[in-house]
This record gives sequence, structure tokens and C-alpha cells, in this order.
Amino acid sequence: MANKLRTRALTHARGKWACGLLALLLTGGMAHAQELSLQDARLSLLPGDMPGAGYFSLQNDSAEDVTLVGAQTDAFKNTEIHMSMEKDGMASMQAVPAIDIAAGKSFEFAPKGYHLMFMNRVAPLEVGDDVEVVLLFADGQQLPATFEVVSPATMH
Amino acid sequence: MLKWLSPILLSVLLAGCEDPNWHTSDISDIMPALDLSLMDENGQQVEEDAYTGKTTLLYFGYTHCPDVCPTSLARMTAAIKKLDEPARDDIQVLFVSVDPERDTPARLRQYTDVFGPQFIGLTGSTAQLDALTNRYRVSYGYGEKDENGNYDVSHSSGIFVFNEQGDARLLMRNSDPIPSMVSDLKRLMERG
Repeated sequence: MANKLRTRALTHARGKWACGLLALLLTGGMAHAQELSLQDARLSLLPGDMPGAGYFSLQNDSAEDVTLVGAQTDAFKNTEIHMSMEKDGMASMQAVPAIDIAAGKSFEFAPKGYHLMFMNRVAPLEVGDDVEVVLLFADGQQLPATFEVVSPATMH
Repeated sequence: MLKWLSPILLSVLLAGCEDPNWHTSDISDIMPALDLSLMDENGQQVEEDAYTGKTTLLYFGYTHCPDVCPTSLARMTAAIKKLDEPARDDIQVLFVSVDPERDTPARLRQYTDVFGPQFIGLTGSTAQLDALTNRYRVSYGYGEKDENGNYDVSHSSGIFVFNEQGDARLLMRNSDPIPSMVSDLKRLMERG
């Protein structure tokens, strides 16, 4: 009986080890700040001094609502939150000052919708590079994240 | 579940057979033949005869648009990639910038190069642009400049498709899935 219990305890511990290792491996390429996390962060890079677009999935696993108010990166002079819209066949875009993300919810920045608009590039960038971007929240929280630079021709 | 399956089913169905229907909008009787007078990305004045002989996709936008325009052009890149190799030489995309203040020929060439060799940038004077946008009932407008001099440009987002003779045939919208675009392009390139 005692042996059986010991074997079970050992297997359980090994299982926990495996889970821990898996979690460690999976967190590469993502970002965490308290219980806020960012996944699939991509920077669609246009050439020259044309602006870039940032896309990602933001998960709020905390018990509090949060408000995203902006972002910042050393690679561009100005970064803003923008939203693309289409009405009656007309496409337009506007700056968005703040986005509320309720506790337990996620929010998508995706093509033809919300996106970060990166303006006035100051560092050379190429498809495949990683860019550090910090997401800024109304309560002062900062979420640093690594964006993968991708070609706009792949974003559809 | 069905929502997921339908595009896959559609792709499978469209992959093999000649489709008897248009999936995007037929504008043959509504819109006039291609007629333009603009400056291309090499700084040359061009007219529509530079583009007859190939199936033409006409799209209006501007380069300081990091989301909508690249996404639309990327859809066209993806659709073209699904055509047979020889067909890819018989199709071209005219990206007409309605923002001549910022979009110089050099910038247009840099921009269109991202999407593929079939993509050609064009712009022109307000008079030249208006002649083309009015012809196809397309609108565009400029937003306010911010403190850095940046401004948005609103613009019609449809893709006008012309056959090799320059006749207007189809209008493709953002809501048209890529398999529908591919099916219609294949059908158009076969029958004109």
C-alpha cells in the first residue's frame, strides 16, 4: 500500500516536471507582465520610411479590467493604436486613444482591424528580425514584448 | 464547424473544375473600359494602352497605409500565386496612389516590389486621379495632418478587374474570399 502511494507520488512529480519544462519551452516568443500576456506578435514591415503595422493577441488573465493606451519602441519615433474601418466600400483609419480589455478576456490586433501603427522608422529592420515593443497601460503597467518582423505580402 | 468547412469545401470544389458562375461581382454592363493617364513608378507618363494585353486588377490606395492597403495587396499576391505559372505573367496589378503628395514614383516602386513583379505603382495630378476615380465612381479624401505631418487617406477599397482587351468585368471586395478571387480570375483569363 505504501509502495503504491510512493509510486503514485513519484509519477505525479515527474508529470509536474514535464509540465514545467513544457511551459518554459512554450513561453519563448511571448511576453508576460503579471497576468497579461501577448501572443503571436508580428510587425508587418513596409520599406523605407513608410509606416509599419503591429498585430498580436493580448490576453488579460488577471482579475482586473485593463486599459491599453499606447506602445513604444526604439525602432520607430512614434507608435499609435489605430483602427481600420470599412463603410459602404470606403476604407478609412483612425487613431484610438484607449482600449479596455475586461478581466479574463483577450483582444485581437489583426489585419483590417485594430493595429499598432509604427511611424518614422529610425533603426534598420529586415523580415525575420525581432523588435522589442513595450505596451503601455492606463494604470502604469508596461508589457514588454518581442515582435517578429514579417513581410506585408504574407499578411492576409 | 460548418463555418470552418465551407471555405475548405469551396477550395476543393473550385480547385479542379471550371466554375459555371462568377463568385465576385460582374460589372461588365455597368463600368466602362480602362482609360487612364497617369505617371508610373518609373516617372513615365502612361495611358491605358500600356496595360492592354494582360488581365488587369486596379486598386486605389496610398503607401502610408500600413494595414488595409497591404492586406488587400497581400490577398492579390496570394490569389496570383494560386494561378499556374504561365498565367502569372499574363496578369498585372495597378496600384494607383491617391496620395501624390507623399507617393513619389520611387516610393511607389519600393512599395509594389514587396508584393510581386506583377504589381505596378501609378499616381498623377489631382486632375488625372479624379478623371480615373470619377470614371469608376471611386472616392477618396484626406484627413487632418497631425503635429508630425502625418495624415490618413480614406479611399474606396474595391478591386476592379479588366480583361486583356481592357473591358471592365469584375469587382472584387474585401469580403470575397481568396478562393473566389482565384476561381473568377482563372475563368476570366480563359474566356475573357
